[in-house]
Amino acid sequence: MAEAKKRNVSFPRYAEYNCAFKYIVEQALGCKYVMPPALTKRTMELGTKYSPDFVCTPFKTMLGNMIEALEAGADTLLMTHGLCRLGYYGELLEQILRDLGYQFDFINLSDYDMEKKKEYIRIVRRFNPKVNPARFLTQFMEGVRMVEYLDDITAEYYQNCGFDATHGDYKRAYQDFLTAMYTAQTKNDVETGYRAAKRALRAVPLDKPKHPLRVGIVGEFYTAMDAFSNLELEQKLADMRVEVHRWMNVTNQFLRYGSGQKNLRVKIQDLCQYDMGPTSTANIWYARECADRGFDGLIHIKSATCTPEIDVMPVLQNISADYKIPVLYLTYDAQTSDVGLMTRLEAFYDMIDMRKKVL
Amino acid sequence: MEKQTITIGLPRALLYYRYRTLWRAFFQGLGMETVVSNPTDRDILERGTALAIDEACLSLKIYLGHVAALVGKCDYILVPRVSNFGRQRSMCTRFESTPDLVRNVFRNDRQKFLSYEVDEEMKKQNEEDAFLEMGRALGCSAKAVKKAYKQAKKLELAQHKERAQKYEQLYKREGMKVLIAAHSYVAEDPYMGKTVSDYLKRVGVIPVRADLVDRESALKHSRELSPTCKWEINREILGGIAMHQDDVDGIILLGAFPCGPDAMVNELITRRVKGVPILNLVLDSQTGTAGVETRLESFIDIIRFKEGKL
Repeated sequence: MAEAKKRNVSFPRYAEYNCAFKYIVEQALGCKYVMPPALTKRTMELGTKYSPDFVCTPFKTMLGNMIEALEAGADTLLMTHGLCRLGYYGELLEQILRDLGYQFDFINLSDYDMEKKKEYIRIVRRFNPKVNPARFLTQFMEGVRMVEYLDDITAEYYQNCGFDATHGDYKRAYQDFLTAMYTAQTKNDVETGYRAAKRALRAVPLDKPKHPLRVGIVGEFYTAMDAFSNLELEQKLADMRVEVHRWMNVTNQFLRYGSGQKNLRVKIQDLCQYDMGPTSTANIWYARECADRGFDGLIHIKSATCTPEIDVMPVLQNISADYKIPVLYLTYDAQTSDVGLMTRLEAFYDMIDMRKKVL
Repeated sequence: MEKQTITIGLPRALLYYRYRTLWRAFFQGLGMETVVSNPTDRDILERGTALAIDEACLSLKIYLGHVAALVGKCDYILVPRVSNFGRQRSMCTRFESTPDLVRNVFRNDRQKFLSYEVDEEMKKQNEEDAFLEMGRALGCSAKAVKKAYKQAKKLELAQHKERAQKYEQLYKREGMKVLIAAHSYVAEDPYMGKTVSDYLKRVGVIPVRADLVDRESALKHSRELSPTCKWEINREILGGIAMHQDDVDGIILLGAFPCGPDAMVNELITRRVKGVPILNLVLDSQTGTAGVETRLESFIDIIRFKEGKL
């Protein structure tokens, strides 16, 4: 009987992080996790239909995916707080879903003062009143460890997969790793899965030139990382035999620099005096870093109407002018065709490739 | 030789409409001069649009036009960073980025900019600390700066109170009253909201401002409409609506394209405020007012029709 009372918790798809959400919800919180269906054209149609017009695109994606999660049997939805408009997603998402007639329990982290440790226990108890805080913390940290492994492997993957001499083994090893993470139930599963992936990736022979084209990705926290939302930009670039580098991920932004990015700002003091937005300091620092390290190009990714990232663009334009590094600015809205993107990417690739040969 | 007076340029856009009294009185209290850019005109808008990223909001485009108009005409241009006044009392992230954004856009001009930083949540720096730091940086004594700030703040609050009281009286007047829910820099800009209130007055409707209310009670009342809204100005507007929605015949949600907070908060208002006609009007850089007037005209007709007067 007790089993039947378990919450069916869901959080929208976000890059590949849902494996860690699943681990935390099931292992640490003792609830069931409802994996929302993969993002598709239908997700975007649902989300766009019920969202206000010029809200940023991740809102539309999450709304669509929450509807799909409710259809898949979720009874509890979780929404995070945040420093930009993200912090207001929860209340509006809930209102729209309620107006549509859905019934569910909504846990909105914006309702809580996340500066206070006591609030965390309140939140955990809402998921499951029987949770033992010490046990929760241990298993929560295992989930966090999974995030770190995921970011580590993903970074390695996009830097190398374009040079896979076997034309497929590298990708297969990455897919196997994801499967291992999505099915992990114990700490041991996580650790073994990570080590196996490391070994498997290292075992694939690479055919990489001495000076491959290197492109740095900067941009908005959701769209830059979520492959569906950016129309698989990183894979597309990698397939053109480009080393793709992206600093921005959950590990770097929250786990390593959670309490402010003072030490990143040191190197960009000439460009900006303050934090211009939640991810701006990291993005400007990394763009400068890539330019310094002689990268061949930068790609700036954001969703339509993302205020903080629009405001970073004048700084990126100055970096581009100072270091003579080409920057491709991409704005994503709810489009689901990648034809336009392909054209721009090919042109960008040709340009940086030609520059490399000439310079 | 006599010491030259320092002149501070104040762009007539964004926070100017909220802090003009504070700024002017503060700098004058320190023996400095202030110059304000002229009211928005076609030229300012066009210059601003050319300087801004295409996707930026109309308010920022106008702001950059005003900054450009002041370049070379003063010692410093004031561009503050106002992040928040505490938890759940934030500004749009654009007010965090403006000083650096402006410096990057105008980096080839030999213009000096002046800034102060209000961030109570992360840096525990309130407005008074911020002004003290700025005044000290300008070479004034701490005592003089404190005095100038206190006097200027007093003046600003008194003036706001007076304006709010004036509007309270308007609610009691006879005739059709329409509540304008807008940021002050949208409501009062001649190229944005002023066209709307001017038109309403012309056709005999009394425009009232949602944000010109007692701020403290507005912040409290905002929770009735939206418990997690964290933007200070939107909360004042929400509070103004909550306090006065029964005193008016209609509400105009007036925003600049594509205002981030408004895009979400106004959607919520249209879903939660019932029983009073609402017009959601988004302004972009139009050259004429005919389109806006048509929409206002039909909105007034709807109100009249609903009240059985048409």
